Amino acid sequence: MMNMKSKWEKNLIIVMFIGLVVGSWGMYQRLAYGHLPMNYGSFVPWGLWVAFDLYFLGLTAGAFLITILTYVFRIKLLSNLGPLAVFTVLVTLMCEVIIISLDLGHPLRVYRFLISPNIGSMLFWLVVFIISMWIIYVPWLYFLIREQLIAWGNDATRAGHQVYRFLALGKTTYTPEDQRRDSRRSRFLSFISLPIGLIFFGAHGAIFAILHNRPIWNSAMLPLIFIMAAMLSGGALITFLAYLYQPSDELIQPLGRVILLILLAFLFLEALQLFVGYQSKITGIVTSLDLITVGPYWWVFWIVHVLIGSLVPAYLLIRYPENSKLVATACFIIMVTFLSVRLNYLIPDMAVYKLEGLQNTFYHQRLRTEYAPNLNEWLVSVWVISLGLLTFLLGTRWLPVIQAGKGEEGHV
Amino acid sequence: MIKLQEALMAKALPQEDPLVRMQRDLKRALQKNPKDIKWGMVIDIAKCIGCHACTIGCVAENKLPPGVVYRVVLEEETGHYPYVWRRFVPRPCLHCQNPPCTKACPVTATWKTEQGVVIVDYNRCIGCRYCLVACPYAARTSDFGEWYTAETAELPGKLYGQKAAANGYEAHPAAEYGKKWPERDHDSPVGNARKCHFCLHRLKVGMLPACTTSCVGRATIFGDRTDPHSLVYEMIGSPRVFVLKEELGTRPSVYYLK
Repeated sequence: MMNMKSKWEKNLIIVMFIGLVVGSWGMYQRLAYGHLPMNYGSFVPWGLWVAFDLYFLGLTAGAFLITILTYVFRIKLLSNLGPLAVFTVLVTLMCEVIIISLDLGHPLRVYRFLISPNIGSMLFWLVVFIISMWIIYVPWLYFLIREQLIAWGNDATRAGHQVYRFLALGKTTYTPEDQRRDSRRSRFLSFISLPIGLIFFGAHGAIFAILHNRPIWNSAMLPLIFIMAAMLSGGALITFLAYLYQPSDELIQPLGRVILLILLAFLFLEALQLFVGYQSKITGIVTSLDLITVGPYWWVFWIVHVLIGSLVPAYLLIRYPENSKLVATACFIIMVTFLSVRLNYLIPDMAVYKLEGLQNTFYHQRLRTEYAPNLNEWLVSVWVISLGLLTFLLGTRWLPVIQAGKGEEGHV
Repeated sequence: MIKLQEALMAKALPQEDPLVRMQRDLKRALQKNPKDIKWGMVIDIAKCIGCHACTIGCVAENKLPPGVVYRVVLEEETGHYPYVWRRFVPRPCLHCQNPPCTKACPVTATWKTEQGVVIVDYNRCIGCRYCLVACPYAARTSDFGEWYTAETAELPGKLYGQKAAANGYEAHPAAEYGKKWPERDHDSPVGNARKCHFCLHRLKVGMLPACTTSCVGRATIFGDRTDPHSLVYEMIGSPRVFVLKEELGTRPSVYYLK
């Protein structure tokens, strides 16, 4: 199993390196020519990268959930996954920050959030919470893996032991007192992360929900749907990772049951949103919903999301709840196809002309509502995903996030 | 007899070009304390002939690149052949008194001035485009860095070809907000949200906005909406007045006459 996994990991690392190389073309286009080679415009100002930002947010949420269950609610079953989950939060946050920075017209001006903030803007608060998550999770990971870092630093036979010694800030001993202190610090950070994390995930939904000119988004239900969506995609990620790194039926099967429940609840909320939207018979809402269900990209909703991303995993989770491999497969499918959900939340509301006659005014590709991501946008996304996965895979090899998990009962 | 003739002529012939009156109103407004001015616009859609001169006037005045437009003319068609009507609704930024766009901006790069004009600080804008998403009127566009001369063939020499053509016009941005902007490349306003600013740079020197002076049908009336003697004030009091998407509570400073 380990050899297979190791081989599988190595192959994935090679694929991710190829992804980085291929995606570099898109990165070059973005860095050299700005937003010019991209397809989004002024009427659909947010495109694939914002959808990916939401997608990464969902993955962050899943990992966040595990950290909370492990360190706040002290669920022993998940304790081995604790440090891995904290590390996953950081990697997915990194991907989110990179892709959303690339989406900015002037990413080098992010310091403006500090020197001229608008505290009335939801987007400002989102950035505050992103920074807060970093401030919490970086030291938290450090405290969780410090013991192993010191041990690896002391092991002269280990390649790069000097780097581990450096990361351990030169410390060579780890006393029970140190362990107690780190455990206290971890627990303190986990308690802070709970409200910060919940607001962070809710704030993402609120960014869209507060806009009263956007009929699909402008609903109190949207932040809730966002939290559910985040729990579903993130929970699926963590179940899949648990299968890879801690393949025990005791852990995977209950996680599978939780994912099934979240999936059904999420589908119910989605159906409710469609039902209420269609029954309102308001042109703006119905037109946007039609774009999702019968528009040119109907297959993204019906085939990718409903059929492959929901019905197939639901069938697997209901029919084979005892089969960890199939549970993990179902979770993998949910995780991969979830981008379709994010795209369907983001694009259709913007893809309707907000004033009658606007489509006949000024002909330019940036002033149209027809949007499909172009190759450059996909390549940049491939680059960011490859970087994230590579960071994750190399991080789990080079940092003691899995090894630290094995002695995690002390922290929990 | 002469008096009768004068009286008949006064009714039959135009009294005074609204532009002359607006110019006089503007001059009077500029003598006020700037804090007491509230700029406003009234667009009489019964007079708009759909010539798009205001759009072109604005594009020329502000040297707007491709894909950036501050003032469009919406075209609505009603009825069925042969009973078809067309209606034209020019749409600048509505300079809402309760603007959703300024609240959305995370870095206070856009705000409403004391004179009620919603403006953008190009050097502060980070280009997140949240304001574009928040505007109910699609009145903001993003400058993606497009060039009219992008497809022009390059030729040797200084008179013809892509560089020469660009240098002759679009390489040198207009003096929006009364500032001298650097030669157009990757810097602001490229990457920024852009919008109508009521031609503040023209107002500053006593000139009406470009859309107003270029309006062939005199459908666009501009002035200080707090000045009871101004034409714009008079028009706002008309029973024909309405605003776009009133239900959103944005309270636009641009009014329409049915």
